[in-house]
Amino acid sequence: MEEEREGGGGKVRALIERATDSTQPDVDPRLLKAIKSLVRYSDSELRLAAHTLMEFMKRDHSQVRYLSLLIIDQLFMRSKLFRTLLVENLDQLLTLSVGFRRNQPLPAPPAVAALLRSKAIEYLEKWNSSFGIYYRRLRLGFYYLKNTLRFQFPNLQANAARLQQERRERERRSKEIVLNKFETLKENFQSIKEEMRLTVDEIGECLDIIRNGGEDSMLLDNLEDEEEIEEFRSSELRQIRHETLEEGKKVCENSENKVVFDALRELHKLLVTNHLVTIQEWISVLIRVEATDNRFRDSILKEFIDIRNHLISVKKKCEELGCALPRIANNEEEEDFWEEGKIGLNESRASHPRENEDIATASTSSELKNTTPGCSYKVPSGKKILECEGGRIESSSPRSKLLAEAPVMKWGSYLDSWGSKRDILANQRGLDLENHWGRVDYDAVIPAEKIAELNVQATVYKEEQLEIQPCHAPLHKGRLCQRRDLRVCPFHGLIIPRDDEGKPLDQNLSEDVITPDSGTDLAEQLAKQAIKNVRAKDKEVARKREIDQKSLKRAKLAKVRKHNEAVLRDAALASTSLSASAGEDMVATNSENASTRSNKQALASMLRKKVTAKDRIAQRLLNTRARDATVRQLTLDVDANYKEAFPNQW
Amino acid sequence: MWREIGDRETGKIRPNLFANRIKWNRIERLQLSDHKEIVTPHRGSINSLQVDLTEGRYLLSGASDASAAVFDVQRPTDYEGGGVIAKHNCIFSVDKQHEGGHRYAISSAIWYPVDTGLFITGSYDHHINVWDTNTTQVVMNFKMPGKVYKIAMSSLATSHMLIAAGTEDVQVRLCDIASGAFAHTLSGHRDGVMAVEWSTSSEWVLVTGGCDGAIRFWDIRRAGCFLVLDQSQSQLGRRPPILERFATNKVSISKSFLTSPSSFTKARPPKKLANGNGLKQSPIGKIPAKGPTRQRLHPGMLSSQDRATAHYGAVTGLKVTEDGMYLLSAGSDSRLRLWDVESGCNTLVNYETVRLQTSKPIQLATTQNSALVFVPCMTTMKAFDVWSGKTSLTFSGHYESVNCCWFNFHDQELYTGGNDRQILIWSPSRLVSDEVEEGFTQDQDHWSD
Repeated sequence: MEEEREGGGGKVRALIERATDSTQPDVDPRLLKAIKSLVRYSDSELRLAAHTLMEFMKRDHSQVRYLSLLIIDQLFMRSKLFRTLLVENLDQLLTLSVGFRRNQPLPAPPAVAALLRSKAIEYLEKWNSSFGIYYRRLRLGFYYLKNTLRFQFPNLQANAARLQQERRERERRSKEIVLNKFETLKENFQSIKEEMRLTVDEIGECLDIIRNGGEDSMLLDNLEDEEEIEEFRSSELRQIRHETLEEGKKVCENSENKVVFDALRELHKLLVTNHLVTIQEWISVLIRVEATDNRFRDSILKEFIDIRNHLISVKKKCEELGCALPRIANNEEEEDFWEEGKIGLNESRASHPRENEDIATASTSSELKNTTPGCSYKVPSGKKILECEGGRIESSSPRSKLLAEAPVMKWGSYLDSWGSKRDILANQRGLDLENHWGRVDYDAVIPAEKIAELNVQATVYKEEQLEIQPCHAPLHKGRLCQRRDLRVCPFHGLIIPRDDEGKPLDQNLSEDVITPDSGTDLAEQLAKQAIKNVRAKDKEVARKREIDQKSLKRAKLAKVRKHNEAVLRDAALASTSLSASAGEDMVATNSENASTRSNKQALASMLRKKVTAKDRIAQRLLNTRARDATVRQLTLDVDANYKEAFPNQW
Repeated sequence: MWREIGDRETGKIRPNLFANRIKWNRIERLQLSDHKEIVTPHRGSINSLQVDLTEGRYLLSGASDASAAVFDVQRPTDYEGGGVIAKHNCIFSVDKQHEGGHRYAISSAIWYPVDTGLFITGSYDHHINVWDTNTTQVVMNFKMPGKVYKIAMSSLATSHMLIAAGTEDVQVRLCDIASGAFAHTLSGHRDGVMAVEWSTSSEWVLVTGGCDGAIRFWDIRRAGCFLVLDQSQSQLGRRPPILERFATNKVSISKSFLTSPSSFTKARPPKKLANGNGLKQSPIGKIPAKGPTRQRLHPGMLSSQDRATAHYGAVTGLKVTEDGMYLLSAGSDSRLRLWDVESGCNTLVNYETVRLQTSKPIQLATTQNSALVFVPCMTTMKAFDVWSGKTSLTFSGHYESVNCCWFNFHDQELYTGGNDRQILIWSPSRLVSDEVEEGFTQDQDHWSD
């Protein structure tokens, strides 16, 4: 080992020493990388690293042990030789990292010691799962800690496996449920089909009755149609007329066909809320089931899809004919779902022509539990189909244009009397004092002008919400400043656009891009640029001069120092028999010691107690002393400055 | 190795020598076996291990949780990791729940030396059970006066079936399997007896080591002990030189020496009852039967002699070498001593033991040619050269103290059991060719950066 250290080796030792000499919770990645690359190509270095790391594991400081353990893990997962070397001393390593022996507890600080233990246990589990087969000692150590000492291992792998198992179990169960449903469907298929057919038939009959009833008026309309066609030239007017005609075609509910309409309404409701939903459900079941006889499943599926399409067409017919129907049927129950339905709606409207197929195929992705969403989806889409059919014409209609322009009003009671210019009763409902019904005084009216005055719309100006960009200046921790200020960040100044790393994007560049566009003030831009260039050049020169001066000064200082050293050396030679080079060595070692000492202090600081409130109070009480101290410090500083300025004075 | 095979082929070395060399090489390469492991059913420390003497195949273990188990060390029960690890599960185990099972820790479990049909367990619940291996039933039961520390049966015996039992009690008892009763009660120790061992050269001679630090030799055909080892009686080297032996051997029974030193014997009271006669080796067993001098020696042995100690503190382990000429003893004074059985002298070999377990009896093992002795030294096992006392191998793998070990001559394997509930197998490291054949695909360097 010694020879290796002499012969150019030992670099890894220094690296490890530096890497473990830190209070950070992680090893410096650059040092780690250096260690890895060094060790990768040299077995002797690797041996030395293993030896050194074990040595560091014995240090009486949990932080050093912790960092060493991190490095050990890195190398352990990579190098076979390292594994063989380390596994030989596994019990020692575990003693030092897990601290399972009562006579060898982990050293202070306790927080890091706890971290060290948990990490060590975690690593042991990881090592065991990946290399346990090849190393009996690894298995033995793991087994001992787990089964004899009953340490709690994080059980990462087992947990993952368990989750997997659970998921599989759930899937299996749901599959079973689906299969069961499929079985029941097999039995009930005919009855379901029959039931639906019955409803559809009834609806058809109802529709027939209604249609026959409305035939007379239709004829009338047709007559009028031909007469008036010439009168309305303007396309818009014609459009309106067309609409009204279509409207007129629809049979309205009256006392005669009220019974039929009621029945139709009932049937429609049954169709929408019951049959369509169940059929959707069955289709989703069929799609997901993994039955043994696929042929049967496919045939049923096909049949179901046909039935559904048929149902949808019937429903459409219903809604076309009795336009009042869906309102009643929907508004009560499906109001709540309306909003949700809208989301899916936009898509379905876009892909309208393919919709039916889409539903058939897309329902593969639909979930089992979406029976209610499915229903809510169904109804609006049905409505949309209606709208869209008229919508093709509508898109250019004045209504839609007006709609696009119309302002959005807030909801309020004034909407009741929107556009009306009537006088309004002051005591409209005959309410008297204390909620007793009283007389309505028909003379006491509020004139329309007054009402209009009262209903004048006052809107508050609402500022448009503007997203305030974060400052994004780089912080010294490596993250970006997340402060959001309008223009100026109190810590990083003016907020400017920055890239992902926090470097300011080049403003000039963007300006340059802009300038060609605004060609009018090109000259001005050029002038500005010129001024800037000149200034930059000036600055450059000034800086160079400064650097020159500094280097001159440094050279002078160096000369002086050299002279001083020579004097010292002479003196030393005169007093002792040491050679000049020995003196140099001493200086070097001294500086090294100083650096290590400072590091040690950093580590030692972890062992020190934290500052408590009591300490702080004490400090405040003793502030006068502190002030004295600062005064002294300042004078010392002045002295030091003086010495710096005139270093050649003895 | 190939050279030796070549030598053997050409007849340069004899088969015996060849075999011994191979064995020796293998023993020197003993290390924790990566590929063979024993899955213990025990939930307590392992106190005793023994491979049967007939087939060399079945390992019997006794543990503190009152359980004993038998393993087949040659045929694994299952494999793990794609056949890389051979696992030896126990063939059967008996524990507290078993009918007639022990209630407290089993301190010692041994095979019946003649075949594997019986095994015997001694326990802290004061009982010694004799089990039928095939039915795993207790066939015989001996109630002892105290905790049983150690039991032993003679591997040579042809005329008796005695279990020697060392207990808390000062008396050593011999239990006769044939009759189911105590045959003898050997009294002499002043404290419990932790170590009991039959001589390997005579079926009548029993060696016991007590907590009083004495090691006593008994001839079971007569009352009383005939030899107490004294650590202060020492000789250098393996045998005292012949001339010196003339002077020191007070009692010499062999006919050739009988005439001249007999007067000598009478003149000086026998201080030490060694019966060393190197040249014409007579088995120790015959000695007491010989001359009338023997008759006098006990129980009227001098009290000073009777009080001699072999160790300071308790004797925790005894092992007679295969040839029966030497006795190794371990004591709670952390010393290992080698005794010349013939002369009864301490040979003053200094073994480099660091510390030995003091609270429990430990089990020692030797190689067949008595070159190495395996000693549990706290958490490690050490193999010492018997004659020089140098440490030749160190086995560290147990996480707690090792209690027992057994060396399997046939396979050159060492089995160790400890307080960490593990039985570890130490086998000769495999040859490189074997490893290559297996294809260590996973265990490779893996540098990502």
